[in-house]
Amino acid sequence: MKVIKIEKSQWSQGLDNLRDAFRLFGPVIEKGFYDYRELAAGQAPDLSFQNTRLSPKSLVFPQSETMLNYSLDPADPERNIMKEAPKDYAPRAVIGLRPCDAKAMVLVKMNFDTEEYQDPYWLNLYNATTFVGLACDAPCGTCFCTSAGCGPYHEEGLDVLLTDRDDHYLAKALTDKGAQLLEKAGWTQAADADTIIEKAKQAAEAKVTSKIETDGLRAADTMALYNAGFWDDVAFACINCGTCTFSCPTCWCFDIQDEAYRTKGVRMRNWDSCMFPIFTVHTTGHNPRDTKTQRVRQRFMHKLKYFVDKYDQGIMCVGCGRCVRQCPVNIDIRKVSALMNALSVQARCAV
Amino acid sequence: MKNLLEHMGMEPDRLHFSWISSAESTKFVAVVNQITAKVKALGPNQRFVKKAAKVA
Amino acid sequence: MSTYTDKIRETAQRLLKECKVEMVIGFRKGSQPMMNEPCVVRSPEEVDQLIWDSNCGINLANYLTNRKEKIGIVAKGCDSRNIVTHIVENKIAREQLVIIGVPCLGMIDKRKIAAAADGEILSVTEADGQVMVKTAQATQTFAKSDVLQGNCSVCTHRNPVIHDEMIAEPVPEQTDVDPYADVAEIDAMTPEQRHAFFEELLAPCIRCYACRNACPLCYCPTCFVDESKPQWVGKGQDPADVRTFHFLRAYHCAGRCTDCGACQRACPVGINMRLLTKKLNKDCLELYGWEAGLSTETRPALDDYQPNDPENFIH
Repeated sequence: MKVIKIEKSQWSQGLDNLRDAFRLFGPVIEKGFYDYRELAAGQAPDLSFQNTRLSPKSLVFPQSETMLNYSLDPADPERNIMKEAPKDYAPRAVIGLRPCDAKAMVLVKMNFDTEEYQDPYWLNLYNATTFVGLACDAPCGTCFCTSAGCGPYHEEGLDVLLTDRDDHYLAKALTDKGAQLLEKAGWTQAADADTIIEKAKQAAEAKVTSKIETDGLRAADTMALYNAGFWDDVAFACINCGTCTFSCPTCWCFDIQDEAYRTKGVRMRNWDSCMFPIFTVHTTGHNPRDTKTQRVRQRFMHKLKYFVDKYDQGIMCVGCGRCVRQCPVNIDIRKVSALMNALSVQARCAV
Repeated sequence: MKNLLEHMGMEPDRLHFSWISSAESTKFVAVVNQITAKVKALGPNQRFVKKAAKVA
Repeated sequence: MSTYTDKIRETAQRLLKECKVEMVIGFRKGSQPMMNEPCVVRSPEEVDQLIWDSNCGINLANYLTNRKEKIGIVAKGCDSRNIVTHIVENKIAREQLVIIGVPCLGMIDKRKIAAAADGEILSVTEADGQVMVKTAQATQTFAKSDVLQGNCSVCTHRNPVIHDEMIAEPVPEQTDVDPYADVAEIDAMTPEQRHAFFEELLAPCIRCYACRNACPLCYCPTCFVDESKPQWVGKGQDPADVRTFHFLRAYHCAGRCTDCGACQRACPVGINMRLLTKKLNKDCLELYGWEAGLSTETRPALDDYQPNDPENFIH
């Protein structure tokens, strides 16, 4: 696809041109931390960030989201009928998504968009959104994207990939959606910059020095991993909070709740976390994952083994490093994956 | 509890505790009258109140 | 501090070798700058994992709840006060414990350092009251006293209040600090201002419950926010629900909180929820002369009646 050169002097004008057709979202800094927010008129995304504190998954998968509305008013002829909640699915664009977070959208889509079932809430928002990525030239020390099936210039899940070249951006249109966005913005100056981008990509990839070891996981015996001796030690420090799962761009679990006030009710869904003890409690009171070790094992087994086996598309992790940075007790997925991987290699060698 | 609620912005006259013996009927009436007057003066409570779930 | 590490390893090794304990709970080096991981060692060969520095802010008493083993536990001042609280509340028996006391000079606040550092932090080391922060661009030095966790800078119980072993001579306690200056600032506001203040304070909360779970006091089998029959509080992101959670979490810590700072330290979005618990600590001190976790012999403020208890709430 073609590459467009955007002079930084044309940047905010272009964004303004987009506002007629799109609601714009982008990283902004609040109280010292970056997060994705809707951009107000005239507000530009702050692209000087390394990465945001929370992932942008909430842009298509809000932490708390209305699904259905209903009335409980005895005088209402339509009482007790669940109705689709009105939503704004007008076109949106996220400006400045990191490639890891875009790849995460692709992984999450495997769950929300299957042949059998399509999740309308997630898909409607996803389809309404144009993803404009920003390549990473200064990855964090905790980034391990290059060994997690991703990379600082990874294109999967993006419609446009921006590369920051000091006084201008190079914008690579990756889909028709992306090409249309560039056109609407009025950014049309074609550039022959494939080699420049390729070079920058290699330089950025070389900066990602942290790795996750996963090569043996696919072939490993599931039960050998499940019964491994290290889980108690891995889980000891865990306090079973939801920090890792809530900050993770690929965690998709949710819980459905009804809330009614007087004559009006709402059915909503909220993020849930496999780290919480009540995540698996049955109505009988029985909890099949009653201990901390079981829950910690579930999180890592899901990301690094069950998902790998089910989809054969690599691990359910893009290497953004948020869980590593934010875990209050420093449980590190790279260490756990190395343990699992070493065990799988041993198991294979034994056969 | 009253102190912490007020610390978080609840009006001091909103929540009342007292101790009244079952034999102190006149005190009971007096205290209830006092409380209703104070709460009415404040108007309907807007804090720690949820009228409908605020969701995206 | 490295002498602390040596002494902790020596003590742990001796206790394990002599079968005085089955396990020792302490810290091991984390994979991130300014982070250590709580860990357990069960054999004398493993004790070299154990370390001590100014990044051991997680409260280890949290890992004792309902344990059945004989346990050696590394405890700084606040941890020891929570161990006392655990003993008083029957969450662990005194006889099960060998408490390895660590006189504490305060833990460093990773957020303060991250905010002051110029670029991404590669490593953080400390020596003689100085903290050296290395980034890709430069090496910066801070006085440790300037980058302490908020609770540590006003701590008046740095030495363990209960211990079986001490790994160093007690450190001088701070006497010239006002622990409740921040609470007094809020007390000086109008109700409207206070309401708005907490609205803003709690706005970033994502309800991950790290504050609750990092707290040694929060050990209920089912927390009130997780109850469904009846459901006490909504589970969404409504500000009234978020506020209710924080209010009741704090209230459940009344007369029990030691201001160890684990809640604030654990919060992924940097909320200072200590402003709630500290209000209760201040009230307990002023109304009942009570500070939590100082003795296994006295009953907690809310668990005890005294004829001179204040009763000005009575109309």
